[in-house]
Amino acid sequence: MPESATPETTAPETATSRPATASDDVVLEVRDLAKSYPVRSGIVLKRTVGHVQAVDGVSLALRRGRTLGLVGESGSGKSTLARVLVGIEKPTRGQVLVDGEDVSTMSRAARRELRRNVQMVFQDPYTSLNPRMSVGEIVAEPYRIHPDAVPRGGRRRAVAELLELVGLDPDHVHRYPHQFSGGQRQRIGIARALAVKPRVLVCDEPVSALDVSVQGQVINLLEDLQDELGLAYLFIAHDLAVVQHIADEVAVMYLGRVVEEGERSAVYDDAHHPYTRALLSAVPVPDPTASRDDELLLEGDPPSPADPPSGCRFHTRCWLAHRLAAQEGEGGGDAVPERCRTDDPVLVPLGRPGADAVPHAAACHFARSAREARTHHVPETVPDPVLESRER
Amino acid sequence: MTDMTETLTPPADAARSAGETLLEVTDLAVEFRSDDGAVRAVDGLSYRVEAGRTLALVGESGCGKSVSSLAVMGLLPPTAHVVGGTARYRGTDLLALSPTQHRAHCGTHVAMVFQDALAALNPVHTVGYQLTESLRARTGTSRRDARRRAIELLDLVKVPNAAQRVDEYPHQFSGGMRQRVMIASALALDPDVLIADEPTTALDVTVQAQVLRLLAEIQAERQMGLVLITHDLGVVAGVADDVTVMYAGRAVEQAPVRDLYAAPAHPYTRALLRSVPRIGVAEDRTTGGRLPVVPGRPPAPGRVPPGCSFHPRCELAQDVCRTDEPPLAEVAPGRSSACHFAAELLGGARA
Repeated sequence: MPESATPETTAPETATSRPATASDDVVLEVRDLAKSYPVRSGIVLKRTVGHVQAVDGVSLALRRGRTLGLVGESGSGKSTLARVLVGIEKPTRGQVLVDGEDVSTMSRAARRELRRNVQMVFQDPYTSLNPRMSVGEIVAEPYRIHPDAVPRGGRRRAVAELLELVGLDPDHVHRYPHQFSGGQRQRIGIARALAVKPRVLVCDEPVSALDVSVQGQVINLLEDLQDELGLAYLFIAHDLAVVQHIADEVAVMYLGRVVEEGERSAVYDDAHHPYTRALLSAVPVPDPTASRDDELLLEGDPPSPADPPSGCRFHTRCWLAHRLAAQEGEGGGDAVPERCRTDDPVLVPLGRPGADAVPHAAACHFARSAREARTHHVPETVPDPVLESRER
Repeated sequence: MTDMTETLTPPADAARSAGETLLEVTDLAVEFRSDDGAVRAVDGLSYRVEAGRTLALVGESGCGKSVSSLAVMGLLPPTAHVVGGTARYRGTDLLALSPTQHRAHCGTHVAMVFQDALAALNPVHTVGYQLTESLRARTGTSRRDARRRAIELLDLVKVPNAAQRVDEYPHQFSGGMRQRVMIASALALDPDVLIADEPTTALDVTVQAQVLRLLAEIQAERQMGLVLITHDLGVVAGVADDVTVMYAGRAVEQAPVRDLYAAPAHPYTRALLRSVPRIGVAEDRTTGGRLPVVPGRPPAPGRVPPGCSFHPRCELAQDVCRTDEPPLAEVAPGRSSACHFAAELLGGARA
């Protein structure tokens, strides 16, 4: 137990089953986090007063020098999660822990000091920079809230160093945002986030507003900064290829829940949740000779988080559930197994226990069927080219 | 007015035969004029759209891909002017027509779908009303017939419960469904050519896949010519037959899609293809891999460097590139490149 452990030894964290080496490096953790927004009747027609459960019971940990990639479609709650992490929003349930300390139980001053450690890089470099402030003012602005981060006399030099760090000319400190390109503006946003020496950067779609040829520059910069400063990243993106490149661990969200998580290779090469596999399948492949007949095409749009489906939230669009129901002869094409409609699946570990900092887990009643589908097709008579092509 | 109605009535069985040239843009040049002078946004762009085929216009922001299409459609903002070239729709130069005639052709024969469906739809009218606005305005269809046609169109783009949803408003539709409405609206008059400007960029990846498949199906069924404007080389690979890569207002490479991806004949195309992150390609950072990048950034319109406009970012650049602008020239059957070293580039790729 914790009290028996001396400060020098790396005490295994008993609360979780994660290995000691991994939990030691955790700088930011959320446990069973939920955030809901009230829905007022009259604004949304035909809907009684209720709550939009934007994030519903999410647990994640960010580690020093590591990147957690968070993927999901609009309405999955990934941006809400980011806003809770940096303190823009208060969670309705659950804990946010910085260095193992619960943020909500702290004094205001202590909380602010801890919050300094978690900074955000925003999606749109055009709207997230005040056009009437010079670059120097923008990058130095966080010092108004965290004056202790850098002593007053050293700020000018600190700003110059930050600009240099992100690959901008320190002489441009008096220029204004409109004089910079999108990629350069995103660098300014990164410099601002780094001004108060945070240990965690929450990057919400940091490159999706940029041109392809510029995206790579910003991603490489983020990687360099991580190596140099030991930062932990939460990297939120809808582009699965970008996430695969930058992330060490990946969490996939759907309607406020994490439906699959694990090491990057586990999620990308051995996806178990039918939603993850559909997402991967939908990514356009930049190869005209690639076969496209094997796409796992999902039907419809993600349902509204204000009115999530019963049971498994993915069951209304789930290709696997439809196949399984068809196999059992349960009626029409929209039929799904009873369990998917009624029981809410939880994240279940999928093997290799203890080997990874983030054990591979999926929230699907039939995750193992999905896995078996690799060798035994579902239904058995119909070959599943997606599974085969992914094996190769 | 009678003859107008006649020419505007959608052909019952569109006489589009595969391979027929529907739209041919030649040497198109567009300038933006301001007090500071003129800035050329499109400079000598030529392309051809054939029935049943998809042409992708690919490039980064500011390369002129959208402006060129707005010019074809007669939808340029007041500061922009067509200063040269033709855009022939079945032989008729759209750019030489009066604005009224130009508008009459566009929408009827050449239609356009925009990226931001929410901005393009009017929030105070029902979806059905907007879908058939063009129909009522151009062919004098009655309201009752128009409503029936609107339901047909929603069915065509696979909006579920079309008969009910036709009376709903845009905000009641999701992003993917709105884009379907936009496509339906563009199809209302059965155009020969559909220009789709980043039609899936604002959509989630699973919805993007649906919309792309829908576009491909409709195009194949109707033998339309499709112009797809996009920055996404993944989308291009799945949808396009032919590709025109644009840089700084010019076409720098034109080729059938497979040839282009197998062996790009312009260094910019090659750099773009390399910089696309791909699923499953293990260039991950644990092995020291970094994303390949194109150094620098695209030039701002009006600040295009002399010689080859790509030379400051080009890894193959020589002295000649700084002074001489390479013409777009044929480098292999069916494909052309605007690079002094296109032949070497192609030869190297084959070797």
